[in-house]
Amino acid sequence: MSDRLTMDPATLARIGNLELVARWVVEGFISGLHLSPHLGFSTDFAEHRPYVPGDDVRHVDWRVYARTERTYLKTYEADTNTNFTVLLDVSASMGFAHGGITKLAYAKLLAATLAWFSRRQRDRVGVVTFADDIREIVPPAARHLPNVLHVLERATAGGTGTLVRPLAKIAQSQPRRGIFVLLSDLYEPAADVLRALGPLTGAGHDVIVIQLLDAAERTFPFDDATTFRDVESGARLPVSPAKVRARYIAAMDAHVTAMRAKLSGGRIDYSLVSTSQPLDRVLFDVLLRREFLRTAV
Amino acid sequence: MPLLAPLFLLAIAAVGIPLLVHLVQREKRDPIEFPSLMFLERTPAPFTARRHLRDPWLFLLRALAIIALALAFARPVFGRRAVPGSADVRRREVVVLLDRSFSMRVGNRWQRARTTVDSVIKSLGTGDRMTLVAFDRRANALTAATGDADQLRAALDSVSLTDESTRLAPAITVAQQRLAASDAPRKLLVMVSDFQRSSWDLTDDARMPPSTEIAPRDVAGDTPILDRAVRSIEVRPDRRPGPAHVIVSARIANIGPAARGVSVRLDVGGRSLESRTLDLPSDGSASVNFAAIPVPPDPVAARVVLEADAVPGDNAFHFLLNQSPVLPVLIIESRAGPYLARALAIGDAPRFDVASRTPARASTADLAGRRIVVLADGAFPTGIGAARLMRFVTDGGGLLVALSEQLNPRLWPASARALIPGEIRTPTDRGGVSGAVLGEMDAQHPALALLSGSRAGDLAAARFFKYRGIDTTSGVLARFDDGTAALTEHLVGKGRVLTFGSSLDGIWNDLPRQPAFLPLMQQLTRYAAGWRDTPRWFDVGASLRPSDLSIDATANAERWIAVAPSGRRTTISSSRSTTTLELNEAGVHALRPGGSPGARPILVAANIAPPELDFASFDVLRLTNALSSSVNATAPERLVDEETPTDREARQSTWWYLLLAAVLLLIAEGVVARRSRTSTVAMQ
Repeated sequence: MSDRLTMDPATLARIGNLELVARWVVEGFISGLHLSPHLGFSTDFAEHRPYVPGDDVRHVDWRVYARTERTYLKTYEADTNTNFTVLLDVSASMGFAHGGITKLAYAKLLAATLAWFSRRQRDRVGVVTFADDIREIVPPAARHLPNVLHVLERATAGGTGTLVRPLAKIAQSQPRRGIFVLLSDLYEPAADVLRALGPLTGAGHDVIVIQLLDAAERTFPFDDATTFRDVESGARLPVSPAKVRARYIAAMDAHVTAMRAKLSGGRIDYSLVSTSQPLDRVLFDVLLRREFLRTAV
Repeated sequence: MPLLAPLFLLAIAAVGIPLLVHLVQREKRDPIEFPSLMFLERTPAPFTARRHLRDPWLFLLRALAIIALALAFARPVFGRRAVPGSADVRRREVVVLLDRSFSMRVGNRWQRARTTVDSVIKSLGTGDRMTLVAFDRRANALTAATGDADQLRAALDSVSLTDESTRLAPAITVAQQRLAASDAPRKLLVMVSDFQRSSWDLTDDARMPPSTEIAPRDVAGDTPILDRAVRSIEVRPDRRPGPAHVIVSARIANIGPAARGVSVRLDVGGRSLESRTLDLPSDGSASVNFAAIPVPPDPVAARVVLEADAVPGDNAFHFLLNQSPVLPVLIIESRAGPYLARALAIGDAPRFDVASRTPARASTADLAGRRIVVLADGAFPTGIGAARLMRFVTDGGGLLVALSEQLNPRLWPASARALIPGEIRTPTDRGGVSGAVLGEMDAQHPALALLSGSRAGDLAAARFFKYRGIDTTSGVLARFDDGTAALTEHLVGKGRVLTFGSSLDGIWNDLPRQPAFLPLMQQLTRYAAGWRDTPRWFDVGASLRPSDLSIDATANAERWIAVAPSGRRTTISSSRSTTTLELNEAGVHALRPGGSPGARPILVAANIAPPELDFASFDVLRLTNALSSSVNATAPERLVDEETPTDREARQSTWWYLLLAAVLLLIAEGVVARRSRTSTVAMQ
C-alpha cells in the first residue's frame, strides 16, 4: 500500500480548496485501507477476550500474558462522540519553506485531512490556531467541519510562537476529554513542550504531537555566507553555513531525539513529518502509529 | 598569430574579477529568513579565498566571455589561412629596394622607411623569399633571397644613410635580375623611397617580369621641408695690388619662410676666419661675400658653414683654397707674334707660364718644367733637336704645331717625323675669294667642346685664306670647307700632338681677331698638355683616379691611401679592386701615396650633389606605370594579401567570430546566472 501513497503536498497545495483536498486524500486513503481495518482515532478499550485461532496476533495483550501466561486479546469499540481538535501553530516560523510549500500550508492540508477523516468517523471536529496566544478557535462540534476548514483556509503565519499560554487556555476551555492533534515546528526545548502539554494530558486528553519541519531545517543546505534572520524575533545572525552545518544538523537531530524521548515518556503520540512527505503517507503513518500505541497499551 | 592591437590583451586580466567574485566568500546583502536561530552560531563570513570555485560553470562562461572580448578587440590577423591555395602556389619572391640616399635624412623618413621594411619582413609567409637591396646612386643587394627574417633584419640593421644622390635605374636593374631569376609564382617589388624627382633615370627597358606587383612606399610624408643650405661657393681673385688674395662668396638657398639674421661662417684650415649674418627671402636664395683672404701656398681645406637646421648635412660647403695652378708653356716661333702669347697670358685657370724662344735659340734647357711646346709657325726647333723633342713628347709632353709659312716639312728631321700626323701638302691659297671656313668640327671633342657653348664665340666666322692640307684619315678634329683636315690629333708615346693646318699669327687667316681665338688657344694648349682641371670641390659620388689629382711625380705612385671625412681608410691600387677614389662622403678626403706617410696629402673636397638637395618628388603612379609590364598594367593581378582592403579585412575578420562567441557566452552566462539566482531565491 505504501507504494500508492504519493500525494505530493505541493501539488495538493496548489488546488487551494481544503475541503476538496481533504476529501480526496481521505477517500483515496480509505479505499486502500482494506488491509488495515482497525486504524482509527476514536477507538476506546472495551474488554479482553480469550485468543482463538485466526485472531490477529497484533491485538494480543502481552502484558496480561506476562502476568497470567494466558493469551487475551484487547478489544476496542468506537466512541462516536469523541471531540477531535486540531491545534495549529500559526507562528511566523511556520511560514518557512525551502523549495516547496510552507510548513503552515502543509499543516493546513494535514489538519483538513485529519478533520475530514475524523468527521467521517462521526467525531466532533474543532480547530484552534495560535501563536503566542490563541488566534481563532472553533469548538468541536458535529457540524463544525466547514468552520474548521474555513479557519484553516484563512490562517496565516505571523508573530512569535509559544505553547504554554495557548495550550493552558485550551485545556481550561475543553473540560470534556477528547483528542488533540498539535501541528507545530516545536522550536522550544523538549522539556518546555512537555510542560506546555501538561494541562492537556493532565486533563485526560489524548494528545498527538506532529512536528512539522522543512527538509532544509534538517539538512541546512545553504552555501553562501550570509545573515540569517529569525522570522519571529527579527534577530540577525551572520552565519557561514559551511562552517556551522555539521553542528547545526547535530543540534537539530539532538532536539528531535530529545523531543521524541520526552513526549514518548509522557505517553504522548509524537511524529516527525517533513513537508516533502506525501500527505496520505503521513496520514497512514500517524494512524498506524496510533494503532501500534493502542495495541501497546 | 599577429595582433593589430595587442594591448587589448591586457583586458584578459579582467578575468580576475569573476575569479575574485567566485573565490571570495562574501556576505550576501539580503538576509535569509529562517524559522529559528536557536541552533545556529555566529560565524562572520571571512573575506578569504575559498578552496573551491563557487559556480564553476558560471565562472567559466564569464571568463571565456572576457577572453573572447579581449581577443576580438586585439584584432588577430591570420595572414596565411585566409586565402585559399597551397603554400607553393602562394610562394612569393619579394625584392625590397631601400633608398638610403642623403635626402632620406630629412625628418623621420629613414625611420619610416625602416619600419616599412620591417613590416614587409613580418608579412613574409612560408616559402616566401626576400632580397633586401639598398640603393642610392648605386644598388647593393644586402642579402641573397632568403626567408630568414633574422637574417633580413640583421641586413636591415646594417644599412646606414649615405651622402650619395639617388638613381633609380641601378636599383631597378637589380630588382629585374632578382625577380626574373626567380621561379616563384608570385613576385613583389617593394620600393621604399622618398621618390625624388631628380632620381628618375628610368628608360623604357625598366619593366619588371610579368606577374610582378609593384608596391611603392613613399616615406616622404606631407610635412613641408624647411631647409637652408649652402648651395655653391665662388672663389675669385682679388685684383687689388699686393699679395695674392681671394674673395669667397657663398650662395645660400632657403626653403621655407623668410629668415633674418642667419649666421654664415667661413672656416679655413680648421680655423674660423669670419662670420656674417644675412637675411634670406622666403623660398629663395641670397649671397654673402667674405672679406678677401690671402691665398695659402699649399691647398687647405675650407668650408662655409650655416647654423644648424632640420636637414643636417647640407649646412656646410667644403672646398679647397689654393693658388691658381700654372701650366708652363714654351712657344717657339721665328718672329714673336702678338696674339698667341697674349691669349695665353690672360688665362688664370690655369695660369699659363709662357716662355718664347726662336727655333734656333731654343735649347733643351728650355724644356725643363714645361708641359707643352707650341711651334707657332711650324719651324722645327733645331736648338732642341729632334731626339730631345721626341723624348719630351713620348714622356707625356704636349706639342701644338701650326702649319704656317715657316714650315718646311723637308727640313723636319726624319727622327721627328712621327710628330707630323701625315703628309703635309703645299699651302692652299683661298685668298682669291672670301677665304675658307671651317666646314666640319667635332664639337664633342674635349679640345673643341669649349667652343660649342653659346658664349665661346663662333669659330666658323674665321676666314682662312691660306692653309696646308694634312693627309691623314684619323684624328681629324676639324676640317676646312673643302674637306681638308684643319686640326688633327695623334699620340706619340704618352704625349699628345695637335696639328693645326694654318698659322696663328693672323697672316694666313683672321682667326686671332676672332673672339673664339682666345678660348680655342687656351683649350688646345690645355688639351695638348694633358691638363686636367682640379676643381675646388666635387660632388659626392664622383670617382677619381689619383693620377688625375696630382701633377707631380707622386702621380705615378702604385698605391694610395685615402682617408674619408669619417676616418674610413681605403687603399687604392691598380692591382686591387679599388682603383679609384670614391667620394661617397661629404667633407674633405685626404689622399696619400702609399709608403710615404710624411708626404703632403692631396685634399679633395666633396659636397652633396645639388640634385639631391632638390626634395621635390614625383608621383609614385608614374613609377608603377613605368615598371609594370603591359599585362600587369592593363589587368593587374592581385598578389599581396595585405595590399587590398578586402583581403586585409578578410584576414582580420576573426574578431567578428570572437565577438559573436563573446555574445553567445554572455547569453549563456545570463541563462545560467538566472537559473542559479532562481534556485537561490527559492532556497531563501
